[in-house]
Amino acid sequence: MAAVETFALEGHIVDSLILPKVLDLVLDSGSDYRLLDVVIGRSSTDPSRALIEVTAPDDEVLVALAEQLQVQGANPLDSGKATTEPAPADGVAPAGFCATTNLVTEVRIEGHWITADRAEMDCVLVVAAGPDGRPQPPAVRTTPLHRLLEGDAVVVGASGVRVLAPERTRGLTGFEFMDSDVSTEKPKATQLRALAERLRAARAEGAPVLAVCGPAVIHTGGGPAVARLVRAGWVQVLFAGNGFATHDIESAVMGTSLGVSVTSGAGTEGGHSNHLRVINEVRRHGSIAAAVESGWLTDGVMHACVIAGVPFVLGGSVRDDGPLPDTITDVVEVADRMRVEVDGVRVALMLASTLHAIATGNVLPASVETYCVDINPAVVTKLSDRGSHQAHGIVTDVGPFLAQLADELEA
Amino acid sequence: MAAGDLSWGRRYLCCRPTHFGVLYEINPWMHAEVTVDPERALQQWEGLVATLRAAGATVEEITPDAELPDLVFTANAGIVSGSTFVPSNFRHPERQPEAARFAEWFADRGSTVEHLPPDLDHEGAGDALPFGADTSAATPILLSGYRFRSDAAATTPLSALTGAIVRPIELIDERMYHLDLTFCPLDDRRALCAPIGWDRYSTRVVSSIVPEPLWLTDDEALAFSANSVVVDTTIVMPHVAPRIGRQLEAWGFDPIAVDVSEFLKAGGACRCLTLALDVDLSAAPRS
Repeated sequence: MAAVETFALEGHIVDSLILPKVLDLVLDSGSDYRLLDVVIGRSSTDPSRALIEVTAPDDEVLVALAEQLQVQGANPLDSGKATTEPAPADGVAPAGFCATTNLVTEVRIEGHWITADRAEMDCVLVVAAGPDGRPQPPAVRTTPLHRLLEGDAVVVGASGVRVLAPERTRGLTGFEFMDSDVSTEKPKATQLRALAERLRAARAEGAPVLAVCGPAVIHTGGGPAVARLVRAGWVQVLFAGNGFATHDIESAVMGTSLGVSVTSGAGTEGGHSNHLRVINEVRRHGSIAAAVESGWLTDGVMHACVIAGVPFVLGGSVRDDGPLPDTITDVVEVADRMRVEVDGVRVALMLASTLHAIATGNVLPASVETYCVDINPAVVTKLSDRGSHQAHGIVTDVGPFLAQLADELEA
Repeated sequence: MAAGDLSWGRRYLCCRPTHFGVLYEINPWMHAEVTVDPERALQQWEGLVATLRAAGATVEEITPDAELPDLVFTANAGIVSGSTFVPSNFRHPERQPEAARFAEWFADRGSTVEHLPPDLDHEGAGDALPFGADTSAATPILLSGYRFRSDAAATTPLSALTGAIVRPIELIDERMYHLDLTFCPLDDRRALCAPIGWDRYSTRVVSSIVPEPLWLTDDEALAFSANSVVVDTTIVMPHVAPRIGRQLEAWGFDPIAVDVSEFLKAGGACRCLTLALDVDLSAAPRS
């Protein structure tokens, strides 16, 4: 894990070659630097000042380098140290707690910057003590309020806490020009190829891909394409709600989605209750996996997930019919399950989903590349407005788009 | 420019070696088992002072202290600039009480005593020597050694207190633990320079500042050749190597060797035993 520290160097540092000497020392140690600020004195007696951000390969190199730099008069900026207060009760943080963002967060403990175990917005930071009472890795846990235990050392105030700015990957990926306002006026074919390229890169890196699906994926006929992507190993984890899973199973078993034929688009007699009958059958089997095992469910996205061993999390809501036995109705539990599953995910596809996309965005680190495919531009905007600034938007009809994506990936 | 142009070096503060001895070891030259001959030390010191006076310098004395054997090395008292005195922040606890003694001496004589931040070490004129040949010709440059006894960061407050441009010079050879073992300004263009003591950056800095350096070989440097005192055209040296002597004479100087062998046992020679009182870093018109 790279270690970052900012050093200040002051005096007659230019003509004395102190500045180049310090920069050489940084490079010689295998570290890198960024000059955050350089003020050159106007007259020959004015001191100059440089702020140097040093990124070392690890903490050990940084500590050794800091000693060398201090000999040259370069001192680490006083970043303060983190203060903690005990949580007054289970699930309650002390007033003045430091609220997290979805960026990588570091906390200064005993002179070292310790990276929090996860980047998740709207949590608190808990400093965990080791058996000897001293912090030990992972010493800082990003913790949602409900998981706090009485007495947990919660970081309060902003002193000794810093977030690392995300590095946006730039280049000819097809998305650099998409970082403007979300718009319907974008060349879809280019966006599609760029997304396919990103998924290929993720596969090459062995980076897991998360798909978050809304029911419109099934309504618009995108279900088979998602199933193809799952079967071909382009998706490693799936989040959805009761509706998506229900309609996926309904379309696989009965050929309809909310009673409407997914092939002809025509309504079917008594179709309004199809999804309830499907839910009832799955409830009879006990779980989606059991329904697959018994041979009752033979197609669709959920079937593909069970067969391919792709974990899925179905989050429940007040509106749900049934629900399916797999749907988790305790929302706190859903969020916790999602937190476990997003660990390691590097690319997230938000497919025609508003509420689950935002819920997922809440637990995703900003470093996860997020692609939001929706016919409604407001969904992408909404996701960004809730803090998931990393979302790229593709405004299009999700059904045909997914079919093309699966074709492009030869899934 | 010619020999004798050095604007300072005609008034010195010295300390009679009544209580001098090698009682502790804070540099590689010091060995506590070596005995100093007090009588010889006194004779040598009196010889040095007489030579300085004969060259035209005034020498003042500070009262020796039985507790402070290194008080004889007055070069480390602090930085003198006009009527301002900045006492040293000694790195080693053994020498730290010296600072108050020197500050008192200067305050008694009407100097303004200014202090460096307490967390920054700096060992005075022993680690900081002025050189006059800046491109602007008017702003003095103070070369300040750091690493073994002084902190690089001390150069900034030192600059603020004296008005001089301070060029930090990293010392890399522990035997050359103070700048005055590696550098001796002779006039506005020339200086004795011992690159053995400096890192490559500092050697480049000195090269860019000193138009006519006399580069000392390692042996010459380790014989304390740079730890010399310049009074007009007279250069009082612990040892005059033939090559150096010829060059200095060719430049119009008069090098004189004085025996300070008893003091070499503590790692100090002529310059270390003197503190120039007539240095004024702020008097020159500012550019």
